[in-house]
Amino acid sequence: MNLAARKSLRLRLRDLSAGAAFSAVALSGALPLPFTGLFAIAFVLSLWGKRPFLNLRLWSALALLAAAVALFGLVSRGDLDLVVAAVGFATLVTAHRMLSEPTPATDQQVLLAALLLMSGAAALSGEVWYALCLLAFGVSACLSLGLAVVEGPLERDEDLPVAPVLRQVSIGVGIALAGGIAFFILFPRLSWNVAARRTGAGLIGGTTGMSDTVRLGGGGDIKTSARVVLRATLEPSPRSDRLDRYWVGRHFDLFDGKEWRGSGKWGRPTARVSFGPADGALVQHIELLPAYESHTLVGLAQPISFGPATALSNTGSSPAMLLQVGTEEVRLAQDANAFTYVVHSRTDFPLLEEDDAKLQALQELPQEIDPRVAELAATIVDQATAPEEVAAKLERWLQRNLAYTLELPGEVDDPLADFLFERKEGHCEHFATALAVLLRSRGIPARVVGGFFGGERVGERFVVRAGDAHAWVEAYSPVRGWMTFDATPESGRGSRPPPLAARLVDAYERLEELWRSRVIDYSIVTQWDFVRQLVRPPERAASDDDGHERSAAASGGATATQAIFAAAVGGGLVALFWRRLRKRGPKAHPASGFLIEIERRLEALEVVRQSGEDLEALTRRLEDEQHQLAEPLGRATRRYLEARFGARPLSKEERKVLLAGLDPSR
Amino acid sequence: MRQRAGWRRSLKATRVGRAYLVITVGIGLGALNTGNNLLYLVLGFLLAIIVLSGVLSERVIADVRVKRLLPEGAFAQERFALRYEVSRVKGRAFAVKISESGGALDGWAWIPTVIAGTPVIARADVTAPRRGPLKLGQVQISTFFPFGLFEKSRNVFLDEVLLVWPRRGFYCEPPEADSGRLTGESGSQRHRDGGGDIQGLRELGEFEDARRVHWKKSASAGKLLRVEREREDRKQFTLRIASDSPGEHLERACEETAALANRLLAEGNDVGLEAGGRKIRPASGPGHEKRILSALAGLGYGLPPAPEPTR
Repeated sequence: MNLAARKSLRLRLRDLSAGAAFSAVALSGALPLPFTGLFAIAFVLSLWGKRPFLNLRLWSALALLAAAVALFGLVSRGDLDLVVAAVGFATLVTAHRMLSEPTPATDQQVLLAALLLMSGAAALSGEVWYALCLLAFGVSACLSLGLAVVEGPLERDEDLPVAPVLRQVSIGVGIALAGGIAFFILFPRLSWNVAARRTGAGLIGGTTGMSDTVRLGGGGDIKTSARVVLRATLEPSPRSDRLDRYWVGRHFDLFDGKEWRGSGKWGRPTARVSFGPADGALVQHIELLPAYESHTLVGLAQPISFGPATALSNTGSSPAMLLQVGTEEVRLAQDANAFTYVVHSRTDFPLLEEDDAKLQALQELPQEIDPRVAELAATIVDQATAPEEVAAKLERWLQRNLAYTLELPGEVDDPLADFLFERKEGHCEHFATALAVLLRSRGIPARVVGGFFGGERVGERFVVRAGDAHAWVEAYSPVRGWMTFDATPESGRGSRPPPLAARLVDAYERLEELWRSRVIDYSIVTQWDFVRQLVRPPERAASDDDGHERSAAASGGATATQAIFAAAVGGGLVALFWRRLRKRGPKAHPASGFLIEIERRLEALEVVRQSGEDLEALTRRLEDEQHQLAEPLGRATRRYLEARFGARPLSKEERKVLLAGLDPSR
Repeated sequence: MRQRAGWRRSLKATRVGRAYLVITVGIGLGALNTGNNLLYLVLGFLLAIIVLSGVLSERVIADVRVKRLLPEGAFAQERFALRYEVSRVKGRAFAVKISESGGALDGWAWIPTVIAGTPVIARADVTAPRRGPLKLGQVQISTFFPFGLFEKSRNVFLDEVLLVWPRRGFYCEPPEADSGRLTGESGSQRHRDGGGDIQGLRELGEFEDARRVHWKKSASAGKLLRVEREREDRKQFTLRIASDSPGEHLERACEETAALANRLLAEGNDVGLEAGGRKIRPASGPGHEKRILSALAGLGYGLPPAPEPTR
């Protein structure tokens, strides 16, 4: 490859690495848009081979200085975060160097500035994209540096083979990545990850399905979404891989025939909200992800207390305040990219005093409700009067006689009547509405609950997807209090089997969850567990109190990590052994040992050999001297030569017999 | 000449390497301070790159063989080409830099790649600092491979002596020719018979030696033509350096003598040398100049002059 081609390749690799580093920053969403625009322009110009700063060194340097001063001013005024400003300045430096004279020194400056960008992105982003950007940056930067190094201090227009250089550097980068991962795993963590920042929901936006109202009509596209909206660590952790439990979000008590709304009044911001004693409650550490674009807190049924909560934004983390909206919901009082909070839940409902006025309101139906609804309720319920019995009958009837579907095109005037009497199919909101209205028509206080149903284990945590969004009903009995009823057929409760696109999203989410659990949240506790797993034999599958088998998924990740670690160690040992084997010289001929033994015995017998005298010459001399060793030495010598050069191997017995003639003790 | 490979290695961070180290330390401190796992990941990668640099650079320089191809001599304080034959038994080497260790000669040779079994001749433009026999000891084999962050070197012992001729400095006035201002070949000891190569014919001038007349051509031309030969106006000079005691005076004398010898020989004169108790008979030609230069190089160092060519 000639000089021009090599230079072009080197510069493209350099630009690619800078682009990868900047992508890591840009994907964090923390950098102001003008920086992105400036870098994009510089990137395109550089790829195009245009270097506008080639003859504008002084002016461009002054512009850079002015930008530094401006950024410093913004930081000191509190208008810009320090890390963001630093990353922004590194972006400008990278762009400036890319558009300057392309020398090896400039290349190195670009790559160093890009390295600063990668470091800044590490502080700004925690997304799985960062790994890809780091990989792209590392590979292209190393290749670019490798090419520059082979080029030497003086660029000479001669053909140089580039492929061997790239091959060797690529292998090296692969090893470096493996080494980096090993360092990451083994280096003891001395502090907790306090600098992680959270990015926004990205280009796709939020898809949670949680809203302030539940409006009948339209399809249930949300059910196909595989995006993870929350992750939860449960204490004690269930052993099963699927939870199949209700995650309560908010309650809706007002129905106008088409839409459910809440009627609760907003309380004052507080750090914690409690509905009752949390003794023996299931503790959930929940992380609401950027995809969860709602302020409603969720918790496994039935949540007793919420808080404390932390808001995660581009500029770091801060305590978040909570708002209690009656007994309907608990909301976050501020905006942020993501939140973490703690929820305590019990399997039974909190002992809330429900006043008559409220219970009366929960029985109200709009005037324009179809009279056939009440007739249907009466028909189904028959003679039953107990609320739990009525609810159970209605629930069963709806599950058996109506079908679940997400295909609901077009708007209708009375969606409930359409669902019950015309179309006879709908999704969870239709079923929940129907059950609540039927219950109310029988004088039983009922409300619709919005939240999620499901939860599957990924690593040590459970994830809930947007497709798990669900609606169900709570009915009140004066004797037993609140009870949960779900009229939706079981097949329609969780997320629907996703099509190809949803599968891709699902794969991405799983990857991101793996990234988050294995990398972002890697801590000294994880390290300790890892080391303990390495030194201790694996335990047999244990059973929990419920008789559930220990989660295969939970142990699968650890087993995979161990397998990778063991494979790496094993591979290293094999490589070391092979290298040692190869380093050894040619194997000595078996007869050489015989010769050495003859010489050793001659020395012991004090037979002095003259300079340059081989065994044959020595034998002749001893024969001339009529020495008693002449005959056995002659035989041994002849046999040695046959074995060594005549392809007549020497057996052990023969060797013993021959050496016996040269025994020093005789 | 002996070649011994030492096991010692020296490692020097380049400019970009130093910046890289500073950034690595910064990221390391940041990772320790914040516990940010992504910073740990970047730090791990950066540290692995440093280790990898050490391993790959060792692979490059460990198996490189170097042979010095010395010139016959070199002028002090003037750039000259010193060549190295670089070879390798197995594998490939990249970005190899060869230089003289210890600063005996400044300058280096660069070899982008060396393939096993194919020796490469690399040229280094180097400068010898002073006149005299220059003892060359260790050759430094370095590489910046793979990333240019560090320069790793090892030394190979290659004991050789390079004769450094004196710099051809300024001279004042040429000395008197050995036999005064002579004309023709009368000053030449070896060409007294006028046996130089014929260059041409021209009309014999007034007072010119009639023995140089080409009679046959003169007869055919009808006028006296004389033979013009090369070295027709040769003069003979013996340059002398009185003292060979080392010092600045001797250095200047050597430089002046070297310059003078060069000029006189270029003008077609025979030049001899008397210095340090030794004598080189006047003669001419590039080989003779090298003899004079070599004699000057050894002056004060007790080196015998180069033998004169046998005739």
